Amino acid sequence: MTTITQDRFAEAKAQFQQLFEKDVQQLNGQAEQPLHQLRLQAIQRLPDLNFPTRRDEDFKYTNFNRALNLSYQQGANVMIDSANIDAYRLNDIAPIQLVFINGEWNAALSKMDKLPEGLTITSIAEALQNDAYKAWIEAQYNKETEGNAAFTALNLAFAKDGVFVHVNKGVVIESSIQLLHLAIVDDQAMVISPQLFVQAETSAQVSFIETHDAAKGHQGAYLSNGIARFALDANAHVSHYRIQNDSQEAFKLTNIDIVQERDSVFRGYTIDLGGRIVRNNLGAEQTGVGADTNMFGVYLGKGDQHIDNQSFMDHASAHCTSNELYKGILTDKARGVFNGKVMVRKDAQKINAFQQNSSLVLSKTAIMDTKPQLEIYADDVRCSHGATIGQLDEDSVFYLRSRGLNDAAARALLQHAFILEVLENIDSEDLQDHIEGLIKAKFAE
Amino acid sequence: MLNIKDLQVSIEDKQILKGINLDIKPGEVHAIMGPNGSGKSTLANVLAGREEYEVTGGSVTFEGEDLLELEVDERARAGIFLAFQYPVEIPGVSTSNFLKSTVNAVRLERGQEELNAAQMLKYIREKLDMVGMDPKFLKRSLNEGFSGGEKKRNEMLQMALLEPKLAVLDETDSGLDIDALRIVADAVNKLRSENRSFVIVTHYQRLLNYIVPDYVHVLYNGRIVKSGDKSLSLQLEEKGYDWIKEEVAAIEG
Ligand SMILES: Nc1ncnc2c1ncn2[C@@H]1O[C@H](COP(=O)(O)OP(=O)(O)OP(=O)(O)O)[C@@H](O)[C@H]1O
Ligand SMILES: [Mg+2]
Repeated sequence: MTTITQDRFAEAKAQFQQLFEKDVQQLNGQAEQPLHQLRLQAIQRLPDLNFPTRRDEDFKYTNFNRALNLSYQQGANVMIDSANIDAYRLNDIAPIQLVFINGEWNAALSKMDKLPEGLTITSIAEALQNDAYKAWIEAQYNKETEGNAAFTALNLAFAKDGVFVHVNKGVVIESSIQLLHLAIVDDQAMVISPQLFVQAETSAQVSFIETHDAAKGHQGAYLSNGIARFALDANAHVSHYRIQNDSQEAFKLTNIDIVQERDSVFRGYTIDLGGRIVRNNLGAEQTGVGADTNMFGVYLGKGDQHIDNQSFMDHASAHCTSNELYKGILTDKARGVFNGKVMVRKDAQKINAFQQNSSLVLSKTAIMDTKPQLEIYADDVRCSHGATIGQLDEDSVFYLRSRGLNDAAARALLQHAFILEVLENIDSEDLQDHIEGLIKAKFAE
Repeated sequence: MLNIKDLQVSIEDKQILKGINLDIKPGEVHAIMGPNGSGKSTLANVLAGREEYEVTGGSVTFEGEDLLELEVDERARAGIFLAFQYPVEIPGVSTSNFLKSTVNAVRLERGQEELNAAQMLKYIREKLDMVGMDPKFLKRSLNEGFSGGEKKRNEMLQMALLEPKLAVLDETDSGLDIDALRIVADAVNKLRSENRSFVIVTHYQRLLNYIVPDYVHVLYNGRIVKSGDKSLSLQLEEKGYDWIKEEVAAIEG
């Protein structure tokens, strides 16, 4: 007897295969380059990989595969007016700016002359030519990514303009680096594949601010399928902000992996304002003792938005700490998901892990699903976690209104106060103000 | 200014106010006293516009307008102020931001220009002095972790800033030591004017030594059962409420 197993994603995979081949035809001689070989290997893996379905525990609440039903075309030329980019630049906060239009790195619009000594920023294609970086980058391409393998392979196959950043030992980069992603998509759906690979050597310090926006007036659908990889050597300090304000039609998937050596500190901030279906997978592995990981998240869902945050905190060494705080507000028919996994491995003693997820659900049709997941195999640890789902306190609304604030203003003030607990953890006051401004604008919509 | 006629109020089908009549003219100070649970806070909250209370009969007019038709924030902007018996703590809302937005919301309604940052600071400092509050409170979250007395002072600060036409103080004096009580009384006395009126709900003559009322009313079991001048509160201080309860019982048979 023979069984014929049908691949329910065969059509989608065929589409991506064709897209890839079209792309390769335009390569003109770059086909021999190491990057192309890696991309090729990635697309060749795709037929054997499965896209997640809702039968997968980790995708129970999120049907991301709707992104596979779109019909995509790549490489449409877009007109870019540099004045329109200026609105998205964080000039006062991040003088170094890398600009990406629909995922393509635009050198003319970027600002990266005069990089500080000890800071390397280059394309992944170029970094692969350098023997000092090659092995690590290849390892990133070959890393097993449980559960997300299909989308990760897609990213690796399609990304041509990945960014590689290396910070030398002891070098402290005082100002932030902005990765300005702008989508200019109208009727023709596109696949956008942001990629950021970061190596911070011992005692290096660097901070990234990714902004993801859809250009005003361009509200087309697209799949933005990004990955970021961070390797922190001993005592390195890396901050990574993602301010996501994509189109209301965007499918947004991001896989971020962090590996931390001893005494290193990672601070990750995920601010989700835009997007139609948003899924963030954030995983940190503490391979060295005394590492510290911080994950902060804010999500604001309106209309039909769906925002899913998955975090995986892997305490693999002793004396490490982790701190996770996610807060969100959902209204209309928006849906939020938080799934925070904390693993404490057998010999990882004296761990201190904190996790909190709180949501305000402001309408009857909005939904929040939250699930902390603790797996602890060491016996001398402190882990605390909590999850709350609630509404605005009506006594507080009444108090504020009794002083003359109208109903909307009173509620906006309380919502802002709710989110503030997360925003207070932002290191730069200017950046905090900027993000508060975006959040206010979203409340006022 | 404020005219309450046969006001009847229920909460969860339980009648609490059973026909209140009260007429307050500009510049007057009315004290309302009465045993616990008699309905004083209910009256204060209905005037402020709390929606849980159901008005089942009667009317309230404020400067000739039907007050009960107005939303709570419209009432505030029209000039009604309630100093709460139990002010709520609101973490994350900074006291200074809150004060600024309320002052400007009320000013706009009155056709006055919004205050700019410098003017606002000066104005708030002035009123902080008036109620003896340390400016460091401005940086803190609204009422969060404030002591009882600090919360009450914060209520007086808001009253001073918003310059209401009618201020209702619900037991602002309860739990205050004598210094804090004097500050509250001073604030009220400074704000007393011929076109601003006060309703002072209190259990204690002590406050009325400092804020001398024009009228004193006794609210008992949902009705104003006795009204008089300031001598009535002295009588209550001396004799308690039993003689009033007996009088009511005798009339009702
Ligand atoms: N939200 C509520 N739900 C149910 N009953 C209430 C509510 N608020 C007030 N009551 C009841 O209404 C009655 C009057 O309460 P109110 O608070 O107005 O009294 P009070 O005169 O202010 O008393 P006190 O002197 O103790 O402050 C009481 O019996 C009280 O239990
Ligand atoms: Mg009371």
